[in-house]
Amino acid sequence: MIIAEATSAPAVRASGLAQIIREPILWLVLSILVLGALTSPHYLSALNIQNLLRNAALVGLLATGMTIVLITGRIDLSVAANMVFSVIVAVVVTSWVGRELGLRWIVKGNTFAGSPLIFVAVSLLTGTAIGALNGVGVAYFKVASFIMTLVSLTALRGLSYLATNGAPFYLKGAFFNWLSDELWLGVPVSFVLLVVLVLFAHAFLSRTVAGNRLFAIGGNETATLYSGITTNRYIVASFALSGLFAAVAGLVFTARLKSVEAALAQGYELTAIAIAVLGGVALAGGTGSLWRVLTAAVGFSAGLNLLAIWGVPTWYQNLAIGAVLILAVSLTRLNHKN
Amino acid sequence: MLKFTRRAAIGGVMSVAVFAATQGCLTAQAHADGVHDVLNGLIASYSEHAKEGMSNKSVGELFEKDGFRDYLDAYPVGGLADGFVWKPGMGATFTGPYSKLEIKAPFTDYIPLPEGPVLDPKKTYKIGFVFHGFNHPWLISLADAAAWEAARHPNVEIEVIDAEFDDNKMGQVIDTWVAKKYDGIVLWPSREAPMGPPVDRAIDAGIPVVSVDRRTSSEKISSEVLGNFYANGLQEGLYLKEVLKAGNIVLNRKDLGSTADSIRTGAFLEVIGNVDGFNIQGNYHTNSQRTLAFQSTADALQAFNDISVSFNTGGEEAMGALDAIREAKRLNSAPDGKKIVILANDDAKEVLKEIADGNIDMVSPYTPLIGDIGIRAVIKHIGAKEGLNDAPPKLIMTPNLPMITKTKMVIEGVETMTPDEWPYAYGPAVN
Repeated sequence: MIIAEATSAPAVRASGLAQIIREPILWLVLSILVLGALTSPHYLSALNIQNLLRNAALVGLLATGMTIVLITGRIDLSVAANMVFSVIVAVVVTSWVGRELGLRWIVKGNTFAGSPLIFVAVSLLTGTAIGALNGVGVAYFKVASFIMTLVSLTALRGLSYLATNGAPFYLKGAFFNWLSDELWLGVPVSFVLLVVLVLFAHAFLSRTVAGNRLFAIGGNETATLYSGITTNRYIVASFALSGLFAAVAGLVFTARLKSVEAALAQGYELTAIAIAVLGGVALAGGTGSLWRVLTAAVGFSAGLNLLAIWGVPTWYQNLAIGAVLILAVSLTRLNHKN
Repeated sequence: MLKFTRRAAIGGVMSVAVFAATQGCLTAQAHADGVHDVLNGLIASYSEHAKEGMSNKSVGELFEKDGFRDYLDAYPVGGLADGFVWKPGMGATFTGPYSKLEIKAPFTDYIPLPEGPVLDPKKTYKIGFVFHGFNHPWLISLADAAAWEAARHPNVEIEVIDAEFDDNKMGQVIDTWVAKKYDGIVLWPSREAPMGPPVDRAIDAGIPVVSVDRRTSSEKISSEVLGNFYANGLQEGLYLKEVLKAGNIVLNRKDLGSTADSIRTGAFLEVIGNVDGFNIQGNYHTNSQRTLAFQSTADALQAFNDISVSFNTGGEEAMGALDAIREAKRLNSAPDGKKIVILANDDAKEVLKEIADGNIDMVSPYTPLIGDIGIRAVIKHIGAKEGLNDAPPKLIMTPNLPMITKTKMVIEGVETMTPDEWPYAYGPAVN
């Protein structure tokens, strides 16, 4: 597979093999898998690989959205809160629709068990709208993205509690089972979904004018403005895409837990940032590759899974994540410098 | 909404008669039965009475608004496994493997398992214990008790993992243990709903799973070891009713929807729901955080001059409330210069010291030292799977414990214990 990195400059393309050899993140993933295979008979079992791919799908979706915003030189701290909120809104709306239309089969008690069509549509629309709202605040009202999305994070958590009164909502039915448990050729459907969405997002970033402009904004916003490009709409679009990916992540996450409640996934925005950084995305904007982020998501999940297989206490796991992040960032910088 | 119909009036009179009769019997019964059954009797009485309606409008409105009835009706109240009767003084003493503190655990004789190899002595059994919060005294003690029980059996290996309050991480830990083909899993879930699917996956893979203290949404789970939330809230109400007939109450509660909050607060309100003198003056969610309880109490002290009672759903909340009351020099600022009554749960050593010093008025013990029951239960489930013994019950209620007060009291048939008489307090000692 040819790995192409889209940048604000004309895309740099090397031969597939040469580029793969130069990818530290790929080496990291391969090292983890080999180490796991050598040290545990369970590590490369089908069940365990499926477990780590399911987790990679969740964090990878969040990190993909985050990467699109980071490319513009902004940050989206609201992704995890948006992920939970978009599902909760879908719960509230389907409850209301069910009640108004007398469709008791849609919502019974606090359990959703009906057709997922409205549920998914409302969830995706909500996530995208919240993202776009962040973008409007950042682009048109010139609020720093850190502040804007921090406010969103807090507000969305509060609204989630308000909407659910702190109670859990159970998600039952074939759709949630499919999204959580279904395998395609041995690969979890959620991971296939991640790969397909990354493919689309990568094509958008590297093959469209709008995608190139997002890189341009992150590389040098002033120059982009002077070249006659209206940057605001692209900034709004990047946040909307981040919100959309957060909503998809919300569906994957809550399908896995078969429930949603306001307190879920606290701190996952930091995991998304960590994976983007591990994938070589510059926090200053202008560069980033979704394929590397996808590989980083698998590496992150594979590494955590290996530590869990070894029975390493979580505080050592956190230390290891920090060390690997520092190493990855250093290697990426050295690689780019060379 | 209360409805005063003839039927309700007759029902109410009959309930009062039954209630009064029960009360009369309880003092005598308390000596014959364990405290567990006596408190369960009181829970049934007050619950039945509250279902007839609450004459106290302030209490009734809050009870209705937060939907406590739904939670209380669903929470199990029942007898102990194998007819066990707990008496003060029971239990083993050991050094906590993680906290390194001297611990006396109250329930080591409950669902007993003799020291030495278990089940098939030629086999090594691997058990995973996953919980949250290695930095919290209550939770470290839970892990201490679990690890102690595992260490008593040379052919049992235990892996203890802290999921750091991340439900998804706890699910991944369980999935990893399924992949590693562990023999049994014990978990302390933070929230019920998200832990159902991972537990179901483990059970489907043939691995027995036991939850301690809290429930999961799994219907397949092998056993649930459940604590005495209902008795906790009930006893806070009983104590208050005993020492005061009226007063303004400020509530420091856990997070909305948490089982501990729903059952403790709901049970407390059931008890005082028909005492007309009490008024709910402030109602705060402080989410088990001492700093938030400090802030809410400080705010309440600024807003109101006539607070009589500080109700707290946990020990951390009670300590936060006491800190704020002390800082404001308002310990004796209840009407007529009386002391503000501070009600607490969780028998941390710090809370017991404040009771001994006369600052906190009572605590309903809620011991974390139940991890050992979870380990014994899962070992017995593994044994049942291997045809070596019978399985333990699905629902394993832990014994209700008497409340602790500065001086000995007898409240509605339940004899309280003093801090000096209570050897089971957890956490680091305080001077």
